[in-house]
Amino acid sequence: MRFEQVWFRYARRADWTLRAVEATVEPGSTVVILGRNGAGKSTLLQLAAGVLRPGRGAVRGRPAVVGWVPERFPADQPFTAGDYLRRMAELRGAPEPAVGHWIERLLLTEHVGTRLTDLSKGTAQKVGLAQALLVPPGLLVLDEPWEGLDSVARTLIPDIVAEVTAAGGMVLVSDHRGEITALPGARHWTVSEGTLHITESPVPLSASSAPTALSGASALSGASALSSAAPGEDEVIVEVAVRRSEADRAVVALRASGHRVLGVRG
Amino acid sequence: MRPLTAMRIAGFVRGGRALAPLIAVLVELGIIYGGGASPAAVAYGYSAAALFPVLAWLTKLLLDTEPDVQRRLARLSAGPAREATAGLLAALVLSLAVCVAAMAAPWLFNGIDTSKDLGAGIALGILAHLLAVPPAIAVGALASRAVTGSIRLGLTVLVVAAVLVVVLGLSGSFAPWLVPPVMATARVLNDPGVPPAGELALLTGWAAAWCAVAFAGYGWLRRARS
Repeated sequence: MRFEQVWFRYARRADWTLRAVEATVEPGSTVVILGRNGAGKSTLLQLAAGVLRPGRGAVRGRPAVVGWVPERFPADQPFTAGDYLRRMAELRGAPEPAVGHWIERLLLTEHVGTRLTDLSKGTAQKVGLAQALLVPPGLLVLDEPWEGLDSVARTLIPDIVAEVTAAGGMVLVSDHRGEITALPGARHWTVSEGTLHITESPVPLSASSAPTALSGASALSGASALSSAAPGEDEVIVEVAVRRSEADRAVVALRASGHRVLGVRG
Repeated sequence: MRPLTAMRIAGFVRGGRALAPLIAVLVELGIIYGGGASPAAVAYGYSAAALFPVLAWLTKLLLDTEPDVQRRLARLSAGPAREATAGLLAALVLSLAVCVAAMAAPWLFNGIDTSKDLGAGIALGILAHLLAVPPAIAVGALASRAVTGSIRLGLTVLVVAAVLVVVLGLSGSFAPWLVPPVMATARVLNDPGVPPAGELALLTGWAAAWCAVAFAGYGWLRRARS
């Protein structure tokens, strides 16, 4: 997918929010977009997703299926989480089991009957993530996906990103919290003062970026952690049971030790 | 397109925003039929004209119910053309339901004079409502937040359009063709006897041409705005 001299502004007489953006995203790659608040990260992501149209230039080679997780999930809708996801699945032409799969995988089961307006910010964000993944996306655009998520849910994002890229998809993620280390191998782009700066070399690997290609069943087969491994080394799966009250701490500790947590089951 | 249409209708009805236009419809019907029985064509002609601004308002409310971000998600999922069309279809379904209710209501209160030309009167009434619904949806769509970008501008478009439909639709207007033939239809149905087919064809063609321009404008404006 290519950004070809993309310029964008929100109104005809407004200043340009983005100027002369020129960049390429390769299939199977992850790009983390950095920048301060208001720098234009969300604008760039929405241009990538096709939600916004460039004022000048073009975005070419966008895959047919795009999953977009907006920065703020639009929770002001009179649906329950389950009803909303079923309707979005129907709208997107997703297979029937996809809804149940992502509800379980993103730990939303107990919130299925909760109205969207009553969801916490983090849970609403997970509903937003689920709707983007109902159909396997060729391009996944995540706008501050870690915002509001608890430590357990945060560990799911690197795995989902790895699965999309393993299938040849592209992932664009914005980040202003320094979670970039959770996405080893990602390139990073920085948006500042309306222009895009690209770091050509990937961010140094801090853990294996090998895709995990989890199925719904295996993701939920137990609280499991995959030991960290340098590229090329064998990996083994170690299933660990921890007390419910200590789950958050255990996941954080395992990640801090360099292990990759594949999933958590309630 | 059907899932998105159903989602928008459900969101509008469940969210409670449908209540205000529903009350407006009831008040209008009370005014039209409160004074006693009228011939079907006359009563339904007035009913269609009176419903026009309410249906335009209903369309705007329906299209504005969905948060902007959800509309963009729908656009991404269904494609721009289907997303825009699904909103218009949702408005059409609800508007037709309102018209059916408005045409059935006077029968509960003996508001229709059944002594003469009943069949022709009902057929003309159906035509009058069918000629009012698409232009009302077009006005509501052009006033929606997805087009105007702000509540104030949207309300201005809605009110100005509703007033112009009446003012420019009056007999002797200098530019009646600028607005859909809502008032013209009511006048034709108010005349005694069945109007000639040519006159009805002219009204239908006029409404169709006006709607073609208005919906093309809506499509063009939506193309540039997500």
